[in-house]
Amino acid sequence: MKQTLMGNDAIAWGLIHANVDMVSGYPGTPSSEILTTVQKIKKQLNLPMYAQWATNEKVGFEVAYAGAITGKRTCATMKQVGLNVASDALMSASYIGNLGGMLLVCADDPGFHSSQTEQDSRVFAKFARIPVLDPATPQDAYDFTKLGVELSEHFQTPVMLRPVMRVSHAREIIEMDDETNYQPKEGKFQRDIPRWGAVPRNDRYLQGIEQLKRVEAIKAYNWEHFLKEQFEKCQGKELLIIASGTGYGYAKETLSECGVEADIIKVIMPYPLPQDQIKEYTQKYDKVLVIEETYPCIEEQIATQNLFGKNTNTTQLIDEMSKAEILKSLQKLEIYRGENIYEALEISKEYPLPKVEARPPALCPGCPHRDLFFAITKVFKKKKAIYPSDIGCYTLGLAQGAIDSLLCMGGSVSMASGYSIADPEKTVVATIGDSTFFHSGIPPLINAVYQNHKFILVIMDNSTTAMTGRQTTAEREHKDIDIKKVVEGCGVACHEYFYTNELSKTIDFFKDIKKVYEQADGPVVVVAREFCVLDKERSKEFLPSLSVMVDEERCVACDLCVSSYKCPPMAYNANGKVEIDPFLCIGCGSCLDALCPTDAFVKIDKGDK
Amino acid sequence: MRYQSVIAGFGGQGVVFLVKVLAICAGNRNIPFLGTENHGMSQRGGAVSCHIKIGDFSSPLIDTNQADLLIGLEAQESLRNISFLHKNGKVVTNADTNFPRLPFVTAKADGFALAKQGEFPIQALNVFMLGVVLGSIEDFPFSQEEVRTAIEQMNAKMAQQNFKVLEMGIEAGNRSKN
Ligand SMILES: Cc1ncc(C[n+]2csc(CCOP(=O)(O)OP(=O)(O)O)c2C)c(N)n1
Ligand code: SF4
Ligand code: SF4
Ligand code: SF4
Repeated sequence: MKQTLMGNDAIAWGLIHANVDMVSGYPGTPSSEILTTVQKIKKQLNLPMYAQWATNEKVGFEVAYAGAITGKRTCATMKQVGLNVASDALMSASYIGNLGGMLLVCADDPGFHSSQTEQDSRVFAKFARIPVLDPATPQDAYDFTKLGVELSEHFQTPVMLRPVMRVSHAREIIEMDDETNYQPKEGKFQRDIPRWGAVPRNDRYLQGIEQLKRVEAIKAYNWEHFLKEQFEKCQGKELLIIASGTGYGYAKETLSECGVEADIIKVIMPYPLPQDQIKEYTQKYDKVLVIEETYPCIEEQIATQNLFGKNTNTTQLIDEMSKAEILKSLQKLEIYRGENIYEALEISKEYPLPKVEARPPALCPGCPHRDLFFAITKVFKKKKAIYPSDIGCYTLGLAQGAIDSLLCMGGSVSMASGYSIADPEKTVVATIGDSTFFHSGIPPLINAVYQNHKFILVIMDNSTTAMTGRQTTAEREHKDIDIKKVVEGCGVACHEYFYTNELSKTIDFFKDIKKVYEQADGPVVVVAREFCVLDKERSKEFLPSLSVMVDEERCVACDLCVSSYKCPPMAYNANGKVEIDPFLCIGCGSCLDALCPTDAFVKIDKGDK
Repeated sequence: MRYQSVIAGFGGQGVVFLVKVLAICAGNRNIPFLGTENHGMSQRGGAVSCHIKIGDFSSPLIDTNQADLLIGLEAQESLRNISFLHKNGKVVTNADTNFPRLPFVTAKADGFALAKQGEFPIQALNVFMLGVVLGSIEDFPFSQEEVRTAIEQMNAKMAQQNFKVLEMGIEAGNRSKN
């Protein structure tokens, strides 16, 4: 059956068609739509399966892994940095293995589009000694998902599928199974303490030996099923290209568009590679070029004299791949001597172009995070404060000068501890979202309470995981889970603030918190109950949909709204006064109160319009 | 056939909707295509640039100097993406009279002004601009009928409303040719 699908949807269908019935993940671009789509299919076809968001990637991995121990086919989904969090579980799971099948889908983000790092999960798979499949297209993503589950069951090891963003978020026509003949396996835990409960040194040492043998067996499989036929067809010309994932697509197109002839190998499983067999063939070429995103994973496994790639500075070392970059590599190898067909046209001086201003992402018009940041920076002045923050929509508070440092999920809380110890003269005000707090904010809070670290922690609770597309959070689904109670359980009072669009109230609340802080000798914790504008279920009760404008007479162009509040509709017009773009404004009314020193923001009576 | 277009705008304008519509058009005719979409961070009002390659391609991205068509839902975003066009590439942009002269065949329509006048809701600007493409770009690979079918497949409930806006776009596109 042919279907037009995005890569992540293709992976979801692949899981269903592979009879996977436990899928557990934590959201993160570009991986999030996999689990969302599984949930949709589950509902649509009424499938008996488990498909849920976990509180973090480690939890997600472990839930799925236990399922695979009992003989089920399972999957954990995450983005590449999520694997850092789940890595402790993965490293051991690779020794212990599984009876059923477990696919670990780890979506990479070459080019840092939505991620703090550009790390290559294939290298992580190599580090953990588990096989990894690298799809080039959504079709591959579907096929390799099914293949990965089979391989995991066959070799009794977790298998990684590593789609990059340009596969996860690419769309194409896919050929998939006509029918969904869903037959998940039953989970039956078989007691085997030396295996599931293996302890150092003996049991784990033996599992380590098994692991090494398994890697050799998978190498042989890789050669027989994915590589041998391709290598045997090679002509042995001047150049051989070995490409993995999207690299294959880019390389193929570049070759045909530049008219360069070369043999090209598509690596389906970039780890573990059968080096010896591959080297027999690479010898026959003058030059071998490896094209892969983003680290030299294949390159470092083969490493022969005639091999070129990142370590020889022939291909790019950082950033998303492009045909222009491959063309450059071909030029460096003196294989291609023609013109650069991917160079932007030079537009002649006859056509003067205006400067195009950057358009960075921003908090949505009406987002409550903006009011909190405005109030925090107003009450806790920059000169005497440090603002560590965390990963989520609120990271965009950077634009308001309300964030000084970012590290990784949960980092705001522990770094607030560190700052408060190292620079006690300053007031540390940390901000974190609800999903991030549950993900990894609780252990550092307990740490701060027990060691009396004095700082302010503001939990911005919009009751959703907004940045990654509004996945449900624990407390949204299950009302008994309450951040306030969790904080109190950590041994510290929780100051609750119910957001309103009256900015003055938000400012007053933080003035009160300042007083609490002055008397405190440990952390001061705030939970601000907010909403997300895009969250249709909840936003209606918060948004009054007013019509708002700036009274030009009153605006003195003091710049406060445009530089510190930064609601996207606000911009200077030709008269040098601030004007509100009615297409962008959602009429939340937050700017009416306490923002403008001359009260230039005014409500328009609906009747006047 | 090989046809490459870049669709540019900013988060919230519905660029991804257009990618999906064109993907369905290609799917319905069984022509291979590869498209890429922006999700996540860039959706918060930031610059968005989606690529769609119709025909025999194996990589999802369009390089500079390669695109046949640039559809810009906002003037600045059109200019930001101009380097994708090859020398015979064409531009269809939402822009007012301040839009600079370009060395490319250019069709302009002031979608913001029309939406301000209440001709259509601002959320339908994407559909309007697709209409402008249909009305002005003769070698565009899909017919009006094919696009209508795809729009209906995307969202049957909104189809009639969308057709109306599409029609306005087609007329504006026709006018921009003269
Ligand atoms: C380890 C890790 N996992 C996942 C992500 C992807 N990610 C970015 S922000 C975010 C969650 C944001 O939710 P929340 O903290 O509630 O803030 P909101 O966006 O709702 O303001 C996630 C999951 C990440 N950056 N790092
Ligand atoms: S998506 Fe929600 S939380 Fe994120 S910026 Fe927009 S309103 Fe704020
Ligand atoms: S805060 Fe008021 S006076 Fe200052 S620029 Fe904005 S609208 Fe004008
Ligand atoms: S009412 Fe004011 S604060 Fe709210 S969206 Fe409009 S301009 Fe922004």
